[in-house]
Amino acid sequence: VSSEARDAAAVLRRWQILAHPQDWHCVIFHVVCLTAYGCAFWLYRHPTAAGIAGPWSRVAFVLASALVLGWISGIDVGVNFHNHSHRPIFTSQFINRWFGRVWTFSGGWPSFFWEYCHVTIHHARLLTTEDWTLPKHTSKGSFENFQRYIITHWPWRISMHLWKDLTARHSLRRRSLRELGIFLALWSIPFWVDPVMALWLWLLPHWIANAFVMNPGMYVQHAGCVPKSPAKPVNHSVVFLSNFFNLTMFNIGFHSEHHDHPRVHWSELPELHMHLKQELIDGEAHVVPFGNYHAAFLLAGDEARQQRFTEQDVGYKGSR
Amino acid sequence: MNLRPLGGVSHGFLSKTGMVLGRAFFPLLAVAIIVGTALWGPWVSLGVTVIAIVAALRLL
Repeated sequence: VSSEARDAAAVLRRWQILAHPQDWHCVIFHVVCLTAYGCAFWLYRHPTAAGIAGPWSRVAFVLASALVLGWISGIDVGVNFHNHSHRPIFTSQFINRWFGRVWTFSGGWPSFFWEYCHVTIHHARLLTTEDWTLPKHTSKGSFENFQRYIITHWPWRISMHLWKDLTARHSLRRRSLRELGIFLALWSIPFWVDPVMALWLWLLPHWIANAFVMNPGMYVQHAGCVPKSPAKPVNHSVVFLSNFFNLTMFNIGFHSEHHDHPRVHWSELPELHMHLKQELIDGEAHVVPFGNYHAAFLLAGDEARQQRFTEQDVGYKGSR
Repeated sequence: MNLRPLGGVSHGFLSKTGMVLGRAFFPLLAVAIIVGTALWGPWVSLGVTVIAIVAALRLL
């Protein structure tokens, strides 16, 4: 490589905003999520134009909007920001910090708190008694009841654990307080515009995002799993192979691979999966042909339905 | 004149655009459902939302 080519590459790198070319997908996803909130707020504030002037039509609009906003916020924070917490998407630290802050506030989280829960607690202490991000274990060693976990985890248990952890050390306490202040300033904006609107189209979607998207995701990704050990190296997470699920969820289905190699970019997980396939087969990893949503449907059901979750993808060893 | 194969360029562009749109499928669906309220009314939006959730739970 000539020195001119090296210089040109260095100049290009200086002007490169994103750390990885595929990270545009993350930015666009988040911008469309914020646009969805903006559209819902505008229509709520202009009921005649939206055709929701009557009380019942407004209830229908709020219900539909809160459900879809909660759904996409759950993905936007639980999967999309999640990628950023492992591999920041911008080359500038400053942009990473501030984009992170305006990323998670639309899911009811300060970015630093989410990152702490996920990276410092969940990844570093996966499935141990210290991993308080996951469901509690019963005396039989299995996860607690699905419904109890999704209702009690956010914000109740999370707040209690975060309070204990983040107030324990002086450096963490100062940073946490600053981040909480920034979060509250951003998060309160819709309440200043219209408190009733904020209650239904901001707070309610955030509860849906956490209770019905992120918490079930955490539950199903590690249900029936055991901590990593030499004897059980790939039984700490479930692998979800649905193509459409992985396309729309930033390949989070390749969860065992992600936990073993958290610094691998989300767009490269399918390739990593193919590379590790034999290890997964040899280690008897739990591989299923669907995604998190169907898994949550199965685990929320009776024993017969839960049994269907434990079944292995029959075509995995051969075709994929 | 150096002409690049049109098919290759457009295929690359379309496939990249398709991937971005596919990746943002759920947020785009949410925007369509919310904005669509002004076109087809809130009850249709609510119906589409319920169908989408049931479909995800059964198939995805």
